[in-house]
Amino acid sequence: MLKPEQMSRLLIVASKDQMAPVVTELYRHNLFHIEDYVEAGAEGYEGFKIGSPLPGATEASGDLVKIRAIENAFSIRSEDFEVKQRRKQSGLQVLIEHELPAIEQEVEGLTVNRSKLETKLKEYEQKIAELTPFTGIPGDLDLYRGYSRLVVFAGYVEKEVSLSVPHEMFFSKGKGRHFTVVIAAVEQRSVVEGALQEAGYQAVPIPDESGVPQERISFYSSQITLIKKEIEDINQKLDAIKEKHADFLVACEEILKVQVDQTEAPLRFATTNETFVAEGWVPTNRVDAVSDSLTNVTGGKIFITVLPIDLEHDVVPVEYDNPSFAKPTQMLMDVYSRPKYAELDPTLILSIMFPLFFGLILGDVGYGLLLLGMCLVLRKYLKVDDGAQLLTVLRNASFSSILFGLLYSEFLGFELPWKPIMFSRHLKIGGGEAGGQGPAIPELMMLAIWIGILHITLGRILGMINHARQDHGDHRIKAVMANFGWLAVMWGLLIVIWTIAALPLMPDLTSLPKIFINLNAAAIVGAVLLVTGVILIARDSALEIVELPTIISHVLSYARIVAVGLSSVAIAMVVNFIAIGMLISPQLEHITVVGVLFIIMGVVVFLIGHALNMALGILGGGLHSIRLHYVEFFTKFYKGGGKKYSPFGYKRRFTED
Amino acid sequence: MVDVNMTLEMVQASQVGMKAIGAGIAVGLTGIGAGVAEMAIGSAAVGATAENKDVFGLVLLLTVIPETIVIFGLVVGLLLLF
Repeated sequence: MLKPEQMSRLLIVASKDQMAPVVTELYRHNLFHIEDYVEAGAEGYEGFKIGSPLPGATEASGDLVKIRAIENAFSIRSEDFEVKQRRKQSGLQVLIEHELPAIEQEVEGLTVNRSKLETKLKEYEQKIAELTPFTGIPGDLDLYRGYSRLVVFAGYVEKEVSLSVPHEMFFSKGKGRHFTVVIAAVEQRSVVEGALQEAGYQAVPIPDESGVPQERISFYSSQITLIKKEIEDINQKLDAIKEKHADFLVACEEILKVQVDQTEAPLRFATTNETFVAEGWVPTNRVDAVSDSLTNVTGGKIFITVLPIDLEHDVVPVEYDNPSFAKPTQMLMDVYSRPKYAELDPTLILSIMFPLFFGLILGDVGYGLLLLGMCLVLRKYLKVDDGAQLLTVLRNASFSSILFGLLYSEFLGFELPWKPIMFSRHLKIGGGEAGGQGPAIPELMMLAIWIGILHITLGRILGMINHARQDHGDHRIKAVMANFGWLAVMWGLLIVIWTIAALPLMPDLTSLPKIFINLNAAAIVGAVLLVTGVILIARDSALEIVELPTIISHVLSYARIVAVGLSSVAIAMVVNFIAIGMLISPQLEHITVVGVLFIIMGVVVFLIGHALNMALGILGGGLHSIRLHYVEFFTKFYKGGGKKYSPFGYKRRFTED
Repeated sequence: MVDVNMTLEMVQASQVGMKAIGAGIAVGLTGIGAGVAEMAIGSAAVGATAENKDVFGLVLLLTVIPETIVIFGLVVGLLLLF
């Protein structure tokens, strides 16, 4: 609890002929986090070389590339593929050799054909575009070329052209610009060109066609229809292949991926001519299982030992070790940063506090139930790991939302049939008809402040533990004391405030007898704490003194729990007031045709308003609760930056041995 | 501002109004301030995250630092009103 999974550093040495069975066994276990060997003259590794892949690596990775190419053509993704039935590896191996080339050839032939047709389609469309301007001009396309004494101009002009030389001109009006064809004698070329330039002439190439333009266009159009049909046919064929072979393909991909992973594993080992050395991490409680089975498969021709861990230099991979209800919250931890190996893992605290904060903010039975339903429904469709975890976190949060909704007595902004058990958040909106006694703002604020104080105190205590564990020598004591100093300053300040003013929900120390110039005993205790704290902080790092105001700002930051919550209550009540108070209930007294319209409008306002408010509430409730943890809580003790434990192996989904 | 013809009730009512306006200004202006401050940090943070996903936690911290301003505004607003 509060600690990552314990790891052991394992050293495996064996002769090279045992490499294949060892790799296969390690892969099967899916527990060994390989520490990659880098040829940099590491201590004790003089003369070692990086290993070379096992036989079959090239073929397997070649096949894998082919399969992935086919999958790409079909846009198949194994992640969103439903597992129907697991296939036997041995059978597939044969199929890969025999069927895969045929499928590949077929798919390749079809895709090549398709892209050829697509090019042709583009070409024809281009031709139609070229021909279109000439449809307005009478005459055959042959008539535009083949002259030695005449020159033909075709193009767009902005205005009508008048020429002083003998010529023939065709003109078709268009919007903004007009298409024109001018035929004149070769000697007059420059005159015609000049006149055309003046009219803003833009030349259009004359299509290399013969016949009437309109006919050519309809010919190409019919060709395009044919090609489109052919492409459609090819797509259908491809779909049929996809339908038939998709599960074969994902299974093949899996097998080949496994093969490639295994055959390329020696690239991460250190080897000599005859032996290999693999170093890596295994969860401590699984060390025996792994070494026993390795000894088994190699017939004892292997040397396995657990190396001592040097926490200062070794980067130990971190795997969470949490009770199952806290596991989804690991996703929120990874978003921030994975804990280091020696660090406290606050996932468990987060998994309890996050839903609590969420409920305090979005404490409404209606929204809670809706969110719960939404999570349960979406959970069915969402396969992505992170998304599913987030939904589980939100589902837990929705329970807390319902619970706090019962305490606050809120249902979509309405009051439940009882008075709020906790402090009321009912605002006086809509002339009192929407709620009773009005919100208990001062109490709620103080509650939030108290949560902040306790949360931060917990953070600082964890900070002391973390420093005591991770730091060494002189700095260790100083850092621990500095954390204590921060606590002392905060509580000292609090005590002083209590002696100055009487606040709701806080101890009232104003009436204690005064001892020393207007200060009572508590004030003196507070002041002493404050000064001691500042000194302790300064002893660790004098620069930290400028951070002192954050004590106040961080505690006050928890006021957002109330503020964000109240705003969502306010929106819910306003929506209710507009929808029911203003639109629906006045019409219900005597129903008319217009009245029915108003009622429908009211229902629409009600639905849209609450949908929006719920979206805002989930966003606000979720983001602000997680932010309070990331910013106010984690900064007190948590650094993170641990390396993820990613064991060598793979959990097969489509195949089995 | 003070009119001799004002009754005590009117004075009290206008005091309540002034308080509400004050609270509104406190929250509104600090909100704008926090927004302006977060604007630059936020865009830089998104850029940094695009380059390297690991810094997300850190840049989130940096982005929300100016939020304190609006929290102070909110506290002042609530103190004025209640």
